[in-house]
Amino acid sequence: MDSYILTYSALNGVLIGAMYGGIALGLSLIFGVLRIVNFAHGSFLMLSMYIAFWLHHWLGWDPYASALVAVPVMFGLGYAVQATIIAPLIRRERALVVEPISALLLTAGVYIVVDNLALMAFGANVRSVPSHIEQTTLSLGDYPLNTFRVVGCVSSIAIAAALSLWLARTDMGRAIRATAQNRDGAAMSGINVGQVYNTTFGLGCAIVGAMGCLLAPFIPLTPSVGLSFGIKSFIVVVLGGIGSIAGSLVGGLVIGVFESIAAQFVTTPTASIFSLALFIVILLVRPQGLMGKR
Amino acid sequence: MNTTTLQTGAPALAAPQRTSGTRAMVAGAAVLAAALLLPLLVRNDYWLHSVIMVLYFAYLASAWNLVCGYVGQVSFGHSVFSGVGGYISVTLLTHAGMSPWLGMLVGALAAAALAVAIGYPTMRLKGPYFALTTIAVAEIIRIWFENTDVVFGIAIKGSQGLTVPLVGTSWAAMQFESKVPYYYIMLAMLLLVMGLTAWMERSRLGVCLKAIRGDRDAAESLGINPTRYYLAAFALSAFMTALGGTFYAQFIRFINPERNMGVELSIDMALMSIIGGQGTVLGPVIGAFFLTPVSEVLRSELGGQLVGLHLVIYGLVLILAVLYLPKGLLAPLSRWARRLLGGAPR
Repeated sequence: MDSYILTYSALNGVLIGAMYGGIALGLSLIFGVLRIVNFAHGSFLMLSMYIAFWLHHWLGWDPYASALVAVPVMFGLGYAVQATIIAPLIRRERALVVEPISALLLTAGVYIVVDNLALMAFGANVRSVPSHIEQTTLSLGDYPLNTFRVVGCVSSIAIAAALSLWLARTDMGRAIRATAQNRDGAAMSGINVGQVYNTTFGLGCAIVGAMGCLLAPFIPLTPSVGLSFGIKSFIVVVLGGIGSIAGSLVGGLVIGVFESIAAQFVTTPTASIFSLALFIVILLVRPQGLMGKR
Repeated sequence: MNTTTLQTGAPALAAPQRTSGTRAMVAGAAVLAAALLLPLLVRNDYWLHSVIMVLYFAYLASAWNLVCGYVGQVSFGHSVFSGVGGYISVTLLTHAGMSPWLGMLVGALAAAALAVAIGYPTMRLKGPYFALTTIAVAEIIRIWFENTDVVFGIAIKGSQGLTVPLVGTSWAAMQFESKVPYYYIMLAMLLLVMGLTAWMERSRLGVCLKAIRGDRDAAESLGINPTRYYLAAFALSAFMTALGGTFYAQFIRFINPERNMGVELSIDMALMSIIGGQGTVLGPVIGAFFLTPVSEVLRSELGGQLVGLHLVIYGLVLILAVLYLPKGLLAPLSRWARRLLGGAPR
């Protein structure tokens, strides 16, 4: 294996890894604040890719432009799912911490419903959403890189930076961080915890909505595309540390580079065995993740 | 009459309760008799096939319930045990001519060993972490099976799956012309797993598992060794699940990694048990009797149209069950049955 191919696959791993990180951001945020594993995370990604598809199909919109629609729509959808489906569970178990497993089952129900509604509505056909950008490769020295992946990678990092700035500087961001640290303490300081939860869930879905539009130009679209990204996001979040924005990016990069290089030595399915095994090892050996705090 | 005594005063409490117990036993015996006679009434192969599938899912959900319902850990990877059991008995039949009855036990023992190997390192993980880890383990094994054609010179044919060879109609080969013997085998297996669950409820194992579920540290401080009981239950559950895998292989005469080891099958087992009422003898059976016909009817009525509709219904039922019936369908049903049988409303 010569070093050119290795460097090239590592570069591609970085590009796709940053996007894994970007997709996992929303999951990590929701997990960090609400202590809920959102099993439907990938389904929201799939929905926003379909928004990009239909806007392109009907109105000829570029998938990047469709983020203008997908982000607010996904925010609203996430807000509504939290307010109508998950909030009652949290309210019922107010005195106790939410039993995490019922929340997981609840979001697993949302995943089953959303994915299969999409299957019923859109059919199982594989679709693609071409972008109007014509130059499909950029060259970095000797290495030709896929333009859409470069855009996705840069945007993921920008989204992560914007999110951490927003969490650090705004009132809502402060309220979210306070709630993540101590729900009851935040409630006693006059923070409307229910409102914070709804906003956080909506925000997590809005981010994944943006990521869907960034993925759409180069990932073939089917109603079941979400689950594999969802499972990969769990791996990334556990690897990077729950609730950590930088950890999410780092975890994504590790998985991206790891899979991309492993795919040079073994077949792609076998490479995914390794990242699943990495997930189990991390959980057993360092459950707080690479960047997480105990 | 008993209901009136009950409503007028409490003193007669003991008597009606005994009557309601007797009535419940009579009702149970009636259900069992109906189940035994059912193949005499249902002559249509399609319907009998559907009934067998309902029993099969009730069996798997009950096997899942043995560990997950009692320890309180949700496994989304149980299908791997059914797959391993099925693959072992089929390859033993194909290459060594071993009777599936024996191969079934070999496969189940292997699945139990696998369960201990998976359970030992992962049992300290809590709630969602455990659930996600079981998915990861099951997916690793499934992907490996899908991409491996030959193991130690034995063909497992990757994602293509294995066809069970026809070796003649006999009890020893667990192969029959008619579906009726399969019906009775599955019914017996279901009764076995229900009996096992009922025995576990009362045994030391069951009591200790409930203690561990309630508060692990407290249970440990009382001298209960969580590792031992947890692994025993996990192995038992895997053992029973693997028996189901062999049955499926002999009944359908075909297994493949996607159908017999996939996440969907695991989620089905978990859903039926949770929706019916986990941690009870009847809950998983009720869950399967409620959900499996929904999918069977929709599939046959709508054919190729609206694929996925039965899963949408599964998902909605799951959401409603988690929100409004955390103890499953069994709770309202048993209240209703108790009223019907004239027992004490509790």
